Amino acid sequence: MGVTRRQLLWAGAGIGAAGALAACSSGTGGSKDAAPAGTASSQPRAGGTLKVGALGKASAITRDPHGTQANESDYLIISLLYDTLAIPGTATNTAPRLAASWKPSEDLKTWRFTIADGAAFHDGTPVTADDVVWSLQRLRNTPAGKSRLPGIQPEGIKAEDARTVVLVSDYPNADLPLLTRLTTFVLKKDTKDDAIAGAPGTGPFKLDWYRDGNARLVRNDTWYGGKVLLDAVEVRLFESPQAMANALLAGQIDVASNVGAVAARTAEARKDVQILCRPNDMAMPIVMRTADGPFADPRVREALRLAVDRDAMVKQVLSGYGSVGNDILGTGDPAFAKDIPQRKRDLAKAKQLLADAGFDTSQTYDLITTEDISGLAESATLFATQVREAGVKINVVKQDSKIFWDATWLKSPLYTTYWGTNDSVVFFVSKTMLSDAGQNEAAFKDPAFDEAYRAATATADAAERGRLLHRLQEIEFAQSGYLLWGMADGIDLAGAAVRDLPKLPGYGRVQLEKTWLAR
Amino acid sequence: MTTLQPAGARAPHGLPARILPGAGRVARQAARRLVLLAVLLAGVFAAIELFPGDAAGATSDRGVTSADLAARRTALGLDRPVAERFWDWMTGLPTGDLGTTARGRHVTDVLAGPFPNTLLLGTLALALSTAGALALGSWATLRPGGRTDRAIDALSTAAYALPEFVVSVALLLVLSQWTGWLPAVTLTGPDGRPESWTMIVLPLLSLAIPQIGWNTRIVRGALADQAALPHVQAAILDGLPRRRVLSHHMLPGALPAVAVGIATSAGMLLGGTVVVETLFNYPGIGAILAGAITDRDTPLVAGVVAAAGAAISLLLLIADLVRTTALGDERR
Repeated sequence: MGVTRRQLLWAGAGIGAAGALAACSSGTGGSKDAAPAGTASSQPRAGGTLKVGALGKASAITRDPHGTQANESDYLIISLLYDTLAIPGTATNTAPRLAASWKPSEDLKTWRFTIADGAAFHDGTPVTADDVVWSLQRLRNTPAGKSRLPGIQPEGIKAEDARTVVLVSDYPNADLPLLTRLTTFVLKKDTKDDAIAGAPGTGPFKLDWYRDGNARLVRNDTWYGGKVLLDAVEVRLFESPQAMANALLAGQIDVASNVGAVAARTAEARKDVQILCRPNDMAMPIVMRTADGPFADPRVREALRLAVDRDAMVKQVLSGYGSVGNDILGTGDPAFAKDIPQRKRDLAKAKQLLADAGFDTSQTYDLITTEDISGLAESATLFATQVREAGVKINVVKQDSKIFWDATWLKSPLYTTYWGTNDSVVFFVSKTMLSDAGQNEAAFKDPAFDEAYRAATATADAAERGRLLHRLQEIEFAQSGYLLWGMADGIDLAGAAVRDLPKLPGYGRVQLEKTWLAR
Repeated sequence: MTTLQPAGARAPHGLPARILPGAGRVARQAARRLVLLAVLLAGVFAAIELFPGDAAGATSDRGVTSADLAARRTALGLDRPVAERFWDWMTGLPTGDLGTTARGRHVTDVLAGPFPNTLLLGTLALALSTAGALALGSWATLRPGGRTDRAIDALSTAAYALPEFVVSVALLLVLSQWTGWLPAVTLTGPDGRPESWTMIVLPLLSLAIPQIGWNTRIVRGALADQAALPHVQAAILDGLPRRRVLSHHMLPGALPAVAVGIATSAGMLLGGTVVVETLFNYPGIGAILAGAITDRDTPLVAGVVAAAGAAISLLLLIADLVRTTALGDERR
């Protein structure tokens, strides 16, 4: 049988455009909007209910804004109800939300956040610094709190006056506001754990009803952040992207959030469906261990980077819904070094480097991967085929997810990984490449790199900081253990009437206050 | 227990003795099913213990420190022996306490919405497959060896051989995407039930069609056996109408075999719900079970198994009762 079960399941969505090229309705170019040209629908208008499908598991539902969120559907509901201090932005990594502004001290250790004017909970009570401090301390005291607010102790979160919150970092940190973008949801001070589910938020939408991961939220007319356009948002939980795509194609929902490239392909033939691509959404690099083992020699890593055919990877693994990578993580960051020349395939040079390094090409090396996300295992297989042409024999090993995260991740010489939540250069540098980083996936240790990072985080001057961030990326490009062949787009499907969905990667997709319906 | 009771003697509580052996049998069967369920649940605890990884790791953020992980393990009680955890869980069962999930919700809360949904879907599917199988099987029997009989034979074999997901995809294409008659998926409403009854049709048909195939073959086979019996032959020779022979002389005798077939279907239906619920986004326990296994969430897996197991055990018990009564009737 040439048809797998998965393909057959997708057949339900009317697959048929297999060879077709990726076509995003908007996003990267923003020019091919599916809206019929010349209609009077270009002016945002208020009203209507938006039905959004989001992925999640009914067994993993959580309503605690500071809990471990495994479900995109939960995160979406929470983000509509509650506000974080800051949110991901376009021109800058960090855009204001509940915090209208922030200012560092001279030494970049103490940061003052000012609460937005008019910010109030859904029951009318104004937001005070005490509420924010209590919420941040609650977040900091969760099991993952240390990695969510690194360098900030619970005592370092203080109220200065009714509208000012102070965060004190253990070390100078010019990027501290970055930390406030994701889970810094603010609740009322002293909200009991068993009252979290119904606790009032400050967000653009208020809770109408909630049931088993599904919810209806209605507009908050007095939201401090401006006029919210939609009357209501209904969030529906979907266990599988297939079912979500089918629901959208049948017109049962207006948006299929983060539904993926396969769904996009099935929808390409449909004129009444918008395929929205959010670039730089997911990195799925190959990790080559730098500390020891067969890939410890930088020349070997360089050779593999030259042996991969990046265009083919993007085309085949991502169905064209993505862009070529240059082995530097944080591609969506305004500070991303676009001027470093794109690495291209060069088999002759790769072979030369392997010979110079004395790499044993008679051996077969295991590349360990999982099926955690769509395309990951496929990327490993295609990579193995490509580097074979440079004389490197690779055997792809698919591992059960649990075994992988226990035994392979952070340990094995060659494996695939993925990152879907953060997009800044500094995030990856600090989390995955500093010598003492907890998630140093390739066991990368470079004193010059660590030094450049420390200098960058302690530098307030923008130009000098830019120079240091560039230096970091140069080292990453030349030395690190990452082979980043491409970045997958985040893909949403939307009905023809949906306008102005967020275009940001990762969790930048959950802000729906500016979204509207042209019908 | 060596005292012989004279036939027709009245037992305590005024029950006729003729029923007593049946009642005792039912009680024994019930006890046996309960023990089986307990063994099954022990198996669940043991199996999840053997899977790689555990609930603490599966439900934590990537990159938590090993110290935090150890603390979480202790908080979830995963550092205690599995036998101890099983005993704790089992002793809570009679009070209706199914424990707490790895994500801190009561298992009963997690199942409160989905279990009735699956029960509804399963019961409807079972009723539909019973009715369909009886109708088709009888129809075929009325025309033995004819074109109808052969067609039903071929179709029921084919239907039974099809996995649920093939049936699902075919139905989805025809009844939803091409014709637009039915919604493609189930959306959950504020009460935790499907927003509209039309949403249950596709999952229902996807589950029922393979079982109609299975049960039709059983009904047809059991009726064929009956047809060969002397009293049926006599009834036919007496010139009774075929329908009357079917309804009064063949179906009652075929009942025990049919009841067992339908009871078997219940188990297969439950297996099918995992696939069908996911494909149609139906808010039932199939999806919960799949997620709970991924999370190594033992109390939740055990909760699903206990709930589904209790429902199926009840059904098997009824099937047993039908069989006992019918066979008893025959002996008389």
